[in-house]
Amino acid sequence: MGVDRQAEEQRLIELMIGYQKGRMDDFEGLYAALKQPLLRYLWTFVRNATVAEDLLQDTFLQIHRARQTYTPPRPVRPWIYAITRHVALMHLRSGRRRKEMLANDQLPEIPVPPEMEKLADRATLHKMLAELPPHSQEVLMLHHLLGMSFEEVGQILGVAAGTAKVRSHRALKVLRERIVEREGGDS
Amino acid sequence: MNPDLLPERLREAISGDLAPVKPLPPVWTRTLYTIALTAGGLALITAAFKFTLRPDMGELPMWLSWGCTTLQLVIGVALIGMALREAVPGSGVPPGATALAIATGVFMQILVGIVTWMHSPGMPLLEGVGLAKGMSCSIKDAVLALPAMVTTLVLVFRALPLRPSIAGLLGGSGAAVVADAVNHIMCPMSDLRHVLVWHTGVIFGLMLLGWGIGKLWERRRYR
Repeated sequence: MGVDRQAEEQRLIELMIGYQKGRMDDFEGLYAALKQPLLRYLWTFVRNATVAEDLLQDTFLQIHRARQTYTPPRPVRPWIYAITRHVALMHLRSGRRRKEMLANDQLPEIPVPPEMEKLADRATLHKMLAELPPHSQEVLMLHHLLGMSFEEVGQILGVAAGTAKVRSHRALKVLRERIVEREGGDS
Repeated sequence: MNPDLLPERLREAISGDLAPVKPLPPVWTRTLYTIALTAGGLALITAAFKFTLRPDMGELPMWLSWGCTTLQLVIGVALIGMALREAVPGSGVPPGATALAIATGVFMQILVGIVTWMHSPGMPLLEGVGLAKGMSCSIKDAVLALPAMVTTLVLVFRALPLRPSIAGLLGGSGAAVVADAVNHIMCPMSDLRHVLVWHTGVIFGLMLLGWGIGKLWERRRYR
């Protein structure tokens, strides 16, 4: 984990401790720090920006109800992302998905790290990522786009770190193959 | 910080209920708490029902009587610890570890049953009373599992298990293994048919019960 990442995690821990003590400012800080990455993560499940916004609010309400279950100084992000994932999965199970998918299918702006930009241009990557199965997209999103370690990804998905690593490699392989196929088709 | 970032509806909901909360203690602390309550509960049950040690206790070597009980208790406590861990978001137990731990608990119970039967025949399995004896042993196992089961499940569901049925399954397995560990030095019968049907059966029954309670809790909380 880089220095910036450690500093960011430390900041999140401090915000979470303050929030548990009842400080609204710290909750706002937590929301500001996590809003965008959580929206991107939620989008991988629902592929709809409006629904992702709604689910983000549901996620923070769940976080609020369960805030005592966070134990400092454990990393905050696996705890929050696991709750977010659960909110998204519950939403998908509820049967509201189909209507929303038909109503709205826009793609949010997702920052792409340099190592992934080597594969293709940003627009192609976004499109190809969106076409991957949700479980592949999820693991790529968490590790490559949101920069989480495999240990953190494993904690969020409820699997071993090694399993998360294997899933990520497989997903990346599929992504590469699809990009090559597409380039072959274009030429 | 830009306050506009937080939607008004969310701000109202949060600020209206922002009492300070005490963070959940770490898993090991909650496991110790469960051990203490379980030990107290088991002592009370043993005294209340006047449970006694098995009559052939002297014929069993120490490693097979107290040794195996201790080993099973350790496995049961580990399962309970895993259930408590599963109850916290972001610290779920990997499926492989869950399966391995539960299989170890069941395998050890069967292995201890076989080895005990090889060392001491215990009380003979009399024709016609097997069912009554078996039922009484199963009930005894279930009663002995109560303190660990109740404490574990209360602590699990006071947290936020995202896979409640898995947490319940682990809690039920842990409580069942703990109960069997205690009953190993109490049940007078070593006959393998009795052990496999009535004692191993209770382990599976309590596992199923924990899983079912988890499912019910999930329906009430998330639907």
